Amino acid sequence: MNIIGVYSIKGGVGKTATTVNLAYLAAEAGHRTLVWDLDPQGAASYFFRIKPRVKGGGRGLLRGKRSPDDAIKGTDFEGLDLLPADFSYRNMDILLEGAKKKPGEQLRRLLKPFVKEYDLVLFDCPPSISLMSENIFRAADALLVPLIPSTLSARTLAQLLDFLKTEDGFGALRVLPFFSMVDAERALHTETIERLSAEHPEILPAVIPLAPEVERMGLHRMPLPAYAPSNAAAGAYRALWDELATAL
Amino acid sequence: MNLLAMDYLLPGAAGAAQDTDAAAAAIRAHLRCEPEPPVRLRRRFFDSFEWSLYRAGAALEEVVTDQHRELLWQDLSNYGAILARQATAAEPGLIDDLPPGPVQERVAPLLGVRRLLPMAVLSGSRQTLRVLNDDDKTVARIWLEEMRVEADGGRSSVPLPARLRLAGVRGYTHETETAAHRLKTVLGLEPAHAPLYLEAFAAAGRRPGGYSSKLDYRLDPAQPAEAATRTILLDLLSTLEANIDGTRRNLDPEFLHDLRVATRRTRSALSQIKGVLPQAVVDDFKARFAWLQQVTGPVRDLDVYLLDFPQLKAELPPSLRDDLDPLRDWLAAHYDAEQQALARALEGERFKTLLRDWRAFLEAPERNGATDAQTPIKAVADKRIRRMVKRVREEGRAITDASPPEDLHELRKSCKKLRYLMEFFQSLYPADDIKGLIKQTKVLLDNLGRFQDLAVQAEHLRETAAAMQREGAAPLDTLLAMGALVSRMLEGQQRARREFARIFAGFDSADNIAGFERLLAAKKRRAAPAEAGA
Repeated sequence: MNIIGVYSIKGGVGKTATTVNLAYLAAEAGHRTLVWDLDPQGAASYFFRIKPRVKGGGRGLLRGKRSPDDAIKGTDFEGLDLLPADFSYRNMDILLEGAKKKPGEQLRRLLKPFVKEYDLVLFDCPPSISLMSENIFRAADALLVPLIPSTLSARTLAQLLDFLKTEDGFGALRVLPFFSMVDAERALHTETIERLSAEHPEILPAVIPLAPEVERMGLHRMPLPAYAPSNAAAGAYRALWDELATAL
Repeated sequence: MNLLAMDYLLPGAAGAAQDTDAAAAAIRAHLRCEPEPPVRLRRRFFDSFEWSLYRAGAALEEVVTDQHRELLWQDLSNYGAILARQATAAEPGLIDDLPPGPVQERVAPLLGVRRLLPMAVLSGSRQTLRVLNDDDKTVARIWLEEMRVEADGGRSSVPLPARLRLAGVRGYTHETETAAHRLKTVLGLEPAHAPLYLEAFAAAGRRPGGYSSKLDYRLDPAQPAEAATRTILLDLLSTLEANIDGTRRNLDPEFLHDLRVATRRTRSALSQIKGVLPQAVVDDFKARFAWLQQVTGPVRDLDVYLLDFPQLKAELPPSLRDDLDPLRDWLAAHYDAEQQALARALEGERFKTLLRDWRAFLEAPERNGATDAQTPIKAVADKRIRRMVKRVREEGRAITDASPPEDLHELRKSCKKLRYLMEFFQSLYPADDIKGLIKQTKVLLDNLGRFQDLAVQAEHLRETAAAMQREGAAPLDTLLAMGALVSRMLEGQQRARREFARIFAGFDSADNIAGFERLLAAKKRRAAPAEAGA
């Protein structure tokens, strides 16, 4: 089982669209895939038409009163399941803090029973750097980090890499940044891509465009490649999936 | 991901086109559903020639539509529940032909080096209805399928009763149960009692797992010897015939192997069950089956080489291993020509006449041409086994450290005859007793086989080296590596030779021989219950 966190300190960079589309493509390629919607806003759950509600909430899961098994829902696509968001996840840091042992390793513990059941787990992560993030870093094999090509994004990437370097135990975690919401018409975007790609060879070559069709995912409430398979942005997600699959 | 799935049969005659359309309309009138465009569908069930997957209680199904092609791994003990699925783009064959994934992982340990063969092919159409909740979320799927088992060889295609499958979506059990209830009340559906897999084979008049090369006769001790012998020979003929097509098309090396084993057993039965069939017939067919054994030999030799190649390579020091690759290339290059020659022989008139004549003879009315034709088979079996045990002991005891290899070869032949006799007549003796004796005989046979096979292989390798050199296909390093291999083989052969005395002593031990005595005296013990029952 591979675990990928789709993660960024910043919000609004295309995390959820990435999670949902990659999960769809992974399942289509035959990987038994689980999306865990960790963002209390529940956007990934919404895209899959699944109610963002987990009986017992985050507390029930962490205290072992409810098994994630009971909360998992099948999506409209075979081989693709979702562990929905819950509004209580907004207090996740407090709940994690209350764990008696290893508060940084709770997500990993909760996923253990699913090792044989899924080939791939994708976290749709809330934007922050917190105890919840630490849990994600400890559970994941790799972080997929969307970058909008701007100076600020470059700074947050540097912050993340610094954090992972200085904290103990994240040495094995792979960071796979890629450019997201790219406007090819804007010189700033193309210049930044060129510069950052040179500075960070680990940045994946696939580039996700800023496209109206991606924004329309909220209207269709399904993954982009499911309703517009030949759209250019769907093609870009396909390229990203291929690169991720190779990297794994 | 083991989802709740329920199969139902639609009422009505098999193959009636209106079945599924009428059913779909009735369902939509009672359940909130979204239909998807109907798709053409092909299902193929794969297994190895020896049904390794079926024997493990599993089925491997490939489902192909215009949009996708996937492999399903099913649990036959649980109504064909799908335990794993994986997309594929490749034609299933050897395990390496399958892309890595959850299905491939499950197939690999069961399949080993065997090839996946399509055992049944179904084609037809599927209508899908997605059952929706208020958010238009799919909470269950209904598939309506009309399938036919495709024509195969002489059999014409067979329509199957239309099926409805209700497949749950994880986390929506309640919705699935509601849908199941509605379907039952509205359509009056009957649950399908067998998974599609079993239904398809039953409709085609075939039996999964139907092939086994194991000998398993239920002979009656009092049966006249000729009738019992015909039973044995007819069964061997069926096994032989079952392997012809696979051998001709070279689907898997095991087809040829089993064909050769059936041939060898036939020849052994002909020569060892003496005085039962007319001698002129025996002599004629012995010669003709010897021809078959001979024309099938070269491909089998190459098969063994190619299958063993990785192991042969591993026996050399790492630095020499790659030098052996030209040998594999050379063998592979000659393989096609040999295989074609074999296919020609199997398609030729000589082989067809042999099969036809042999079956005609075996199925013809008995003719009592031989002295022991009417003797009870048990008496013939006792006599033959006793005599062969005696011969094996005499030949074995005569072997000393100075004996030539030919003597061991002769002993091996006698030993093989003994083994086949015991296997043919197994059912005439108490199972526990004869099994132990067969096992002990196999231990001796293994030792003699190793000795002989390694000698033959070393000789064959020498000849191959000479042929490769003549054709300019052998670099010096390859010849040296082959030389090293020959030396390993001859060492192995010497080891087998050194172990012979100890292993033969095991066969010739007082215990084992007493076992044979008890076995052949067991007549009364077996006859008693039969008399009591009469």
